[in-house]
Amino acid sequence: MTKPADPTLDCPIGQVECSLLQEIRGLRTEVEQLARLSQTDPLTGLFNFRYLIDALHREMERTRRTGLTTGLIMIDLDHFKYVNDIRGHQVGNRALQWCAARWLEVVRKIDVLCRFGGEEFTVILPATRLAQAVRVAERLREKLEISPLPLNPGELPLTASFGVDVFRANEELSPETFVERTDGFLLAAKNQGRNRVCYEESKVLRPATEVTPDERIAFFATRWPRE
Amino acid sequence: MMDSRGPVKLCITSGKGGVGKTSLTVNLAYALAANQKRVLIVDGDLGLANVDVLLGLSVDRTIRDVLDGGVDPAQAVAQVSAGVGVLPASSGVPELVNLGPEEQDQLGDLLTAIMVPYDYVLLDTAAGIGPSVLWFNTFTEHNLVITGPDPASLTDAYALIKVLHRDYARDRFHVVVNFVMSEQEAVQIYESLAAVTQRFLDLKPVYLGGIPRDTSVMKAARSQRPFVQQSPAQPAARAVFKLAERIIELA
Repeated sequence: MTKPADPTLDCPIGQVECSLLQEIRGLRTEVEQLARLSQTDPLTGLFNFRYLIDALHREMERTRRTGLTTGLIMIDLDHFKYVNDIRGHQVGNRALQWCAARWLEVVRKIDVLCRFGGEEFTVILPATRLAQAVRVAERLREKLEISPLPLNPGELPLTASFGVDVFRANEELSPETFVERTDGFLLAAKNQGRNRVCYEESKVLRPATEVTPDERIAFFATRWPRE
Repeated sequence: MMDSRGPVKLCITSGKGGVGKTSLTVNLAYALAANQKRVLIVDGDLGLANVDVLLGLSVDRTIRDVLDGGVDPAQAVAQVSAGVGVLPASSGVPELVNLGPEEQDQLGDLLTAIMVPYDYVLLDTAAGIGPSVLWFNTFTEHNLVITGPDPASLTDAYALIKVLHRDYARDRFHVVVNFVMSEQEAVQIYESLAAVTQRFLDLKPVYLGGIPRDTSVMKAARSQRPFVQQSPAQPAARAVFKLAERIIELA
């Protein structure tokens, strides 16, 4: 990462007009712009794949440190090939920009919305449990469903499919594998008919270590010695 | 005599608070010392320390000073009797409740360094199943789970065992049942816990013993002395001496 350009950068020997200093200032600004470009998707203005992997590395490390899970949402626009083929690439591009803008309205401040590539998007949800990540995904799905792309004339209805998963501190997982695993749920959403959110329901209903009703019953079935 | 494997490390833990972790830790240490063992007590409740309170120690150096202030760990150990050393923790420092990985490594290294001269290390954890509690429990080879005879502390003990077993592959659990009316009651409580761990986790903890409800315990706590010293002939003290013998047999 680069440091922001230092506006107070002064000439050490007190020259007011120093061409060298001006050049350094210019270079710094350029470096900043390039850094921004290198992590931004030019079409949508969202973060790009490179940034996604970096950010995921950071958040997964935070999970290892704090024990708070990192959520991930993989998104794929439904029937996007149809949009491109029938309506043309310009409409396709506008659709991608439209989705990005609508979703930015509903993600939380801490969430990191990225364009994964093509018509795929990803959201990193720092310090988020699965149930909450699913709620965010559901919000994104609904937002798009009620926000058709305005065309002149008419409008183009858009929907997307969502896969959601979380990374837990005790898992051995790379960001790439985490993305792949979450992609599996996206695939399930596609296979189940699109425009839906898929995740491991049993994980939301009951984390692997939670004491189950059966276990509780086993305890309460105990005849307490004092009774 | 110390053998080449180094000291025996036990983590004393419960899930639920108020079941007697710290009291057991302190008194077990003295009972082991009465058997000519050298014992180090580590106060693992890094945010709300209590070991010093039970012993009436005036603490000037804690684990926090070692971690943050570069204090020599050996200097932080208070020798409270011939055979018992205490590494106290700080109280009222919420940010110490969850140590990051480097600090856990640092703590692990310093504990490993200072425990060398001891035969036994007893680690008293905080209540709950927070990251530090889990870390201390994976740091030692033995996990001593203490429960009361009530369903709440028993369920919490089970929940803690389940997390440690499922997520951290721990399988050497020892159970102590506190506040019982009789040894028979302790065994019954243990058996109901063991039945559930066997059925659902395929895991059988070892029964270590019960500690009877005994007024001498509170009296000793008020005078900030271990009850095994103040009232060695009372039922609670006798039970803890028996626990110490079983622990010596374990190693």
